[in-house]
Amino acid sequence: MLNRTISPEVKQIDKIDFVKPQIFDISKDVKLFFMKEVPNETARLDLYFDAGTINGDTGIASFVNGMLLSGTDEKTSTQINNEIDELGGFFESGVSNENAVVTMYSLRENVLPILKVMTNAIQNLVFHQHEVEELVNDRRQKFKTSMEKVSFLAQRAFQQRLFSESIYGRVTNESDFDTISTDSLKHFFKKNYLNGLTKVVVVGDLTQDEIDEIIDLIGSWASNTTTEFEKNIKNLKGYSHLVKDGAVQTAIRVGRMLFNKTHEDYNDFLILNTIFGDYFGSRLMSNIREDKGYTYGIGTMVAELHNVGYFIIATEVGKDVKDATMLEIQHEITRLQTELVGDDELNLVKNYLMGQLLKSADGPYSMTDLYMSVEPYGLDLDFYNTSIDSLNNITPERIQELAIKYLNWNDMTVVSAG
Amino acid sequence: MIHFERFKLDNGLTVLFHKDVTTPLAVVNTLYDVGARDESEEKTGFAHLFEHLMFGGSVNIPDFDAPLQMAGGESNAFTSNDITNYYNILPAKNLETALWLESDRMLSLGFTTKSLEVQRNVVIEEFKQRYLNQPYGDVWLKLRPLAYHVHPYKWATIGKVIKHIEDAKMEDVKAFFHKHYNPANAILCIAGNFEFENIKTIVTKWYGDIPGGIKPARILPAEPEQEELREEIIERNVPTDAFYYAFKMSERRNEMYYMADVLSDALGRDKSSRLYISLKKEQKLASEIGAYITGSLDNGLLVISGKLNDGVSFETFDKALWKELKKLEEHPISDKELARLMIKMHTSKEFQDQGLLNRAMNLCQFELLGDANGINEEHEIYKAIKPSHIQETAIHILKPTNCSILKVKATQNAE
Repeated sequence: MLNRTISPEVKQIDKIDFVKPQIFDISKDVKLFFMKEVPNETARLDLYFDAGTINGDTGIASFVNGMLLSGTDEKTSTQINNEIDELGGFFESGVSNENAVVTMYSLRENVLPILKVMTNAIQNLVFHQHEVEELVNDRRQKFKTSMEKVSFLAQRAFQQRLFSESIYGRVTNESDFDTISTDSLKHFFKKNYLNGLTKVVVVGDLTQDEIDEIIDLIGSWASNTTTEFEKNIKNLKGYSHLVKDGAVQTAIRVGRMLFNKTHEDYNDFLILNTIFGDYFGSRLMSNIREDKGYTYGIGTMVAELHNVGYFIIATEVGKDVKDATMLEIQHEITRLQTELVGDDELNLVKNYLMGQLLKSADGPYSMTDLYMSVEPYGLDLDFYNTSIDSLNNITPERIQELAIKYLNWNDMTVVSAG
Repeated sequence: MIHFERFKLDNGLTVLFHKDVTTPLAVVNTLYDVGARDESEEKTGFAHLFEHLMFGGSVNIPDFDAPLQMAGGESNAFTSNDITNYYNILPAKNLETALWLESDRMLSLGFTTKSLEVQRNVVIEEFKQRYLNQPYGDVWLKLRPLAYHVHPYKWATIGKVIKHIEDAKMEDVKAFFHKHYNPANAILCIAGNFEFENIKTIVTKWYGDIPGGIKPARILPAEPEQEELREEIIERNVPTDAFYYAFKMSERRNEMYYMADVLSDALGRDKSSRLYISLKKEQKLASEIGAYITGSLDNGLLVISGKLNDGVSFETFDKALWKELKKLEEHPISDKELARLMIKMHTSKEFQDQGLLNRAMNLCQFELLGDANGINEEHEIYKAIKPSHIQETAIHILKPTNCSILKVKATQNAE
């Protein structure tokens, strides 16, 4: 008779294979990373540019990024998009604080034809006035819609207070849409795209000749300057609330400046972060969602920048339980600081994180992303072996020590909107 | 080509196995043939609330997630108007942990009062977060009853009103489970680097003794043919006027479904689509515009939606849109246009198929349609579509008497 009350034996993951992409030089400082082992017809190409929001006045980076395929003297934006679509390509572009990334997805046989259309469009971009106006209008509408969301309002205020005096703390205002000039867009584009390529990533079963051809096509954009990123950023501690009339939920953001992968406490802190709020069975989820039912979800994460990082707790809760939620978050911090994590819970989190790492290394796309998330810090895939060591050696005492060191409520920037 | 094997247990459970030697992971996907369309009109939102309760402990195991996490895995689920789908991803060597957990909650749930109380609150917060506290969040709560008068697609999976969720009783929960959660009403797919014989053995071990049930008959009221243009205007505190044109289209198991899918791509999939070029780029009437199909199993909707540019009236936009739709009825699309739509579709299919979870979920969904091998046949169905088919579909679908229009008027623009 089957005993359904006992779990089948859990087997440990003893090893994870990490596969490094091949690396080619485009110029002295700019490299192409190539993951060839793709067992199907798909391919992805990413171009990274030194064109993040910190590289220009507020709004500029995002506008230029949105205009990349907006037309040349020969072709309209519609013609360019049509050519890419006829080759079955998907084009995406996006901006973060520190860089801009342009991505195309396609079948491998179409990588070069699409890249040719794309490089031609970018190389000869002219910023037609009607395209600039259209984008400004679209973005203004989207911005107004975002400003109606408590999650956006809280995130925006959090960013301002977390990064306080730093350039990372600037946010877009509606007035920015009125002051955009075509000249400033052109200037940013020339400096940060045509001379701003910082790396290229190719995933797909391409030939060496095709890789060489990619390098030829985009090599002239290679950046020869290095951006200096800020190091010492201090968050504004304490609480502030934004009123949003009519909201039935309140968004909460709590966090502080922290470190990135280069810090000695990073790996161990990630284990603490998971226990606290980064999986379905976390302390915050178990208490605030699964016990109290205050929210659909609550989570924590460590976000990384080039020289620093930050820790954040994010949730949306019923408007009448905002204060109760804040108290429960503090209560969970106190528990982590005053009580040792039990062995069962710690083992569970260790196994869960090993499973997550196995998943992050599964398949050529995930594997490449895993590598690209250590590469900016001058680290190699061996970093993940140190993560595994950290999982094997972590103790309840160490978790407590880190909670005392890094999770003090009084060090936090606390924001709510609702 | 996606390979699979199939077998059936005596209790009625259909099992699919998909072998992938390249991955160290396993996926266990379970599709239950129950969705919001199977709810009674007085108790909506139930299939989805129930999905939450499936994580609240089963008859022999007090907690679903913790043992799975202990085995290095993770789990989630979704509910649609048609189906409820549960999945686990975990290291392949711990496959049995997932089968132990999934089979026990198929056998029976814990039915604790605490779980019901908490998940009622969680779902109410989900209702607020996704439908009430977002600009344009309640659009589908309005559009569904406009387009459907009789068929249960007239309510959203989250439910008609919060009160239905508040009022959910334990006896309702139990009745729902006993009716819909039995092996005969489920399709299980296991994907990973395993041998078929081993899969048969361990699936039989964990699922074989679950009592068989009766697959509940589904008798839903058919939506009568729409004979008039329907229109509703709602005023909301949003920054921009928005429009939603919903056209009735065929059920999933019909070649017209595929034609409508291609038609929606021609209208508004990407930046070279007809509506994007004409109404946004050339006439500058809309700031956003797109078209898609709901993908429902019963008669679905082809939806054209977007936002108006500031200063553009609904009337102006409306005229221009119908004029553009008319062109598809009057002239077949060119071979070149059709080829463009096909290659985009091909690229996305290749990307979708490379995910192990996607393959497992799709195999279950095609099995529900009649045969899991449909996953390999779909491409041929699309390739057989001719420009004349698109034209006929446009004539059939894109007419005012088949259309329900929802307009969201920004309060500041209201007169």
